[in-house]
Amino acid sequence: MQALLKANEVTKIYAKGQRPSLNKVSFNVSMSEFIAIMGASGSGKTTLLNVLSTIDTPTSGSIVINGVNLIQLSDTGAADFRRDHLGFIFQEYFLLDSLTIRENISVPLTLQKLPPEKIEKMVENLAQRFGIASQLDKYPGELSGGQRQRASAARAIVKQPSILFADEPTGALDSSSATELLKTLKEANEELHTTILMVTHDAYAASFANRILIFKDGSIIRELLKQDADRRTFYEAIARETARLDTER
Amino acid sequence: MNNLSIALKNPKNNFSFYALYLLSVSFVITVFFAFTSFSMNRVMLEKISGDGRVETMCSVISVFLMAFVIFYMSYSNRFFLRRRMKELGIYALLGYRKTTVLSLLTTENLLVCFIAFIAGILLGGVFHKGIVFGITRLLDLTVNNSEIPFFNIHAIAKTACFIFAIVIVLLLSNSRFLFKTSLMGLVRFEKSAERKMKFHALPAIIGFGSIIMGYILALDILRGAKSVWFTIGFSPVAMMTLVLIVLGTILFIASFLPFAVQRSKNNKRRFYTEIKIITSPNFIYRMRSNSRTLIMLTLLSAATLTVSSVMALSLYYPIAAVSRMAPSEIECRIEDESETDAVRQIVNKYSSQNNVTFLQTNIYKVTSASGQLPAEYSVGNSKGDSDNEKILRKAGFECISYSDYISLLEAQGRKKALKRMEKPGDKECILVKYQSDSYKKETGNVYSLLIGNEEIPVTVTAATLDNPISFANSVGTLIVSDNLYHTMEERLSPETKVLSINGESIKDNEALFLELSEYLNGSPYLQGNSHRIHEIFSLSSSTFLLIGFLVILFFIATGSILYFNNISAITDAKDDYEILRKMGYTDRTVKKIIKKQTITFFSIPFLLGLTDCIFATIVYKTALMQNILKESLMLYIPTFIAILLTFVIYMIYYCMTVHTCAHAVLGTNAS
Repeated sequence: MQALLKANEVTKIYAKGQRPSLNKVSFNVSMSEFIAIMGASGSGKTTLLNVLSTIDTPTSGSIVINGVNLIQLSDTGAADFRRDHLGFIFQEYFLLDSLTIRENISVPLTLQKLPPEKIEKMVENLAQRFGIASQLDKYPGELSGGQRQRASAARAIVKQPSILFADEPTGALDSSSATELLKTLKEANEELHTTILMVTHDAYAASFANRILIFKDGSIIRELLKQDADRRTFYEAIARETARLDTER
Repeated sequence: MNNLSIALKNPKNNFSFYALYLLSVSFVITVFFAFTSFSMNRVMLEKISGDGRVETMCSVISVFLMAFVIFYMSYSNRFFLRRRMKELGIYALLGYRKTTVLSLLTTENLLVCFIAFIAGILLGGVFHKGIVFGITRLLDLTVNNSEIPFFNIHAIAKTACFIFAIVIVLLLSNSRFLFKTSLMGLVRFEKSAERKMKFHALPAIIGFGSIIMGYILALDILRGAKSVWFTIGFSPVAMMTLVLIVLGTILFIASFLPFAVQRSKNNKRRFYTEIKIITSPNFIYRMRSNSRTLIMLTLLSAATLTVSSVMALSLYYPIAAVSRMAPSEIECRIEDESETDAVRQIVNKYSSQNNVTFLQTNIYKVTSASGQLPAEYSVGNSKGDSDNEKILRKAGFECISYSDYISLLEAQGRKKALKRMEKPGDKECILVKYQSDSYKKETGNVYSLLIGNEEIPVTVTAATLDNPISFANSVGTLIVSDNLYHTMEERLSPETKVLSINGESIKDNEALFLELSEYLNGSPYLQGNSHRIHEIFSLSSSTFLLIGFLVILFFIATGSILYFNNISAITDAKDDYEILRKMGYTDRTVKKIIKKQTITFFSIPFLLGLTDCIFATIVYKTALMQNILKESLMLYIPTFIAILLTFVIYMIYYCMTVHTCAHAVLGTNAS
């Protein structure tokens, strides 16, 4: 499989003398992969997501996405890169309250300067897939948490990013809404071939991924592969592993 | 931790946010203290107001000033309270009673007011001294500065009492708010979702229509006698216009603007752009809860702009009109030939130079039997001069010769007027008009002049506004050829003899004017150009100064409210901007969005206020000011300056707001 993302010896130190938040982290992500990054609080998951998504810069190491070395990007170059290649989903949805759902999903497409007719068509199609077609003209404040997160996912996927970063996307959702969202993400991964990198501490959410990277103290300490196992079996394997790590703490 | 330490910590931790609040409150108290010191300054009041006029005005303005300060402080207080709901909710959750929270807020208010009081008294003292200095220089007054204290004890006491009253008002307002809001309400106040806006075409159309109707009604005044302002009456039409514009402004902002922006979203090609897709919905969203503030600010701006532009016009216009009211440096009527020598002697006492010209003009009053005569012919009294109002004037043309006219213009140094005039033939004349509105229509009219027993028809070849003699001494002046004038000299005796005195060396000489006035027993026919200007300054300066206090206060309040409002809206949406950046918006584009959002909220009150001000100024100028000067854009220069100053002040506030907002959102990347 072709590597879409190559992280090599990525280190992030916030203050001199402090323990690195990321300590020489190396891994590759292939096209159409669905990866979950797990670990306890403070293990470096979110820092990794921030440096991979150009929001933060690593202290050393290199990150290449789609052949572009992120370390060499200027502020404007990083913004353009995010516009063209990356999608984001956050735990708190982060939809723009003043925009309708339709407008929210349209924003990344207007940034790419697509013609209005095309934008509207793409938004309608994706809203159908995410089950929010009837909510398009509502404001985020009028929707349930699950609907809001699906809208947020639609906004992230609509521009067909090279890679989608999801930071605890189910953290604020009830179990049925969480399952609904994870299924949608899985569908997008399988049918639209969207590459997904999801940070989560929830074994159930992680079980929707194909590969798990477990973090501890800024380093990858374990990698789990789903391979041919079904989701339930994979979930049990993840739960066992996380329980084991918890007892080792 | 007691209330005082919490109260001290809060402004300390949010210094940048509180700094402008403290600064604006300090400014407001500075203006208030300076005003109070001025209104209690017996030395100055005795100099500029002999009849208690200024004292009365001070009392009236003082009420406005106090009401306005209370309004502004209440608004700012409520604004900060809303921003701190979550924090107050946490205090309540921790077990603080509402009375304790209330006393915390009151302690904070006391602190802010105390600092503002100290700053206000120090700055206000300087400001007051500056005003006294300015007025004494402007009006050439002799004032013993040691009699005017830097800190007037009574003014300090009044300011302290007033500030205490403000704290009480804020305490009552806060207690009402706190006790009305439940604990849940306190904690979740910031998160409460905005209600959805409904777009109705009818109120939007009514709003737009009302404003347009109001403006059309205002413009109707330009039709003169046919206008509804004259046929129905000034007061009812003025009231109607005001109602239409206020109602229109309310609906225009609350309904029309959101409706128009919502409709504009249908233009997909314009809407689906990286900035419009954020700013248009954001405007509608903010209008849901901010339309009332915006309406208030627009009306406030309209009032401020109108007051400052009318004020500028009211000061400038009479000064510009002095060239017509008193064209010569000094002019008086000679009742007895011996007066001429006496006047000369007095003038020579004050001017040793030879550049003073003395010109005596004999004016012949001639009646006419023509059917249609100009209004000036039968003006019953010498209007425009309050001293002369009761002196009746006989109807008739007041004739002077063309040579005298030219000599007078030359002595007065009016080169432009000289160039404009063509010499009239023996059967021709030039009519001096009083008002400027119909002076062009006079040309070609024929008036039959009764000179002795003979009727001599003369044709008006030109009408002019360049009168060589003041209106106190001649109205309905007719400039005739020298030959015709000789005929009058032979057959009639002069009605009045006017001595016009001009020259650089006697300019701005109040002592000379005073001595002449004494010699002529306070004659109302004694007129002086510099004296008149001086008189206007001394009569108007206190009025403008006092209104100036109000205008400054309006500016501080409008600017600060806009500043607070925008900062609040933009910092509340900080997460939104963060998402935009993550989506790929560059910092430059985010700053552009912030600028656009801020300029919209600044430009609505400014532009609507400006339009209201333009129409109000037209009405004021047309209906309430005597129109004796030729229409020229030059007359509106002070109005333009007033508008420009307002614009500059708005721009300063705008730049400060954008800077603070961009800094709050982008941090160090803002610049």
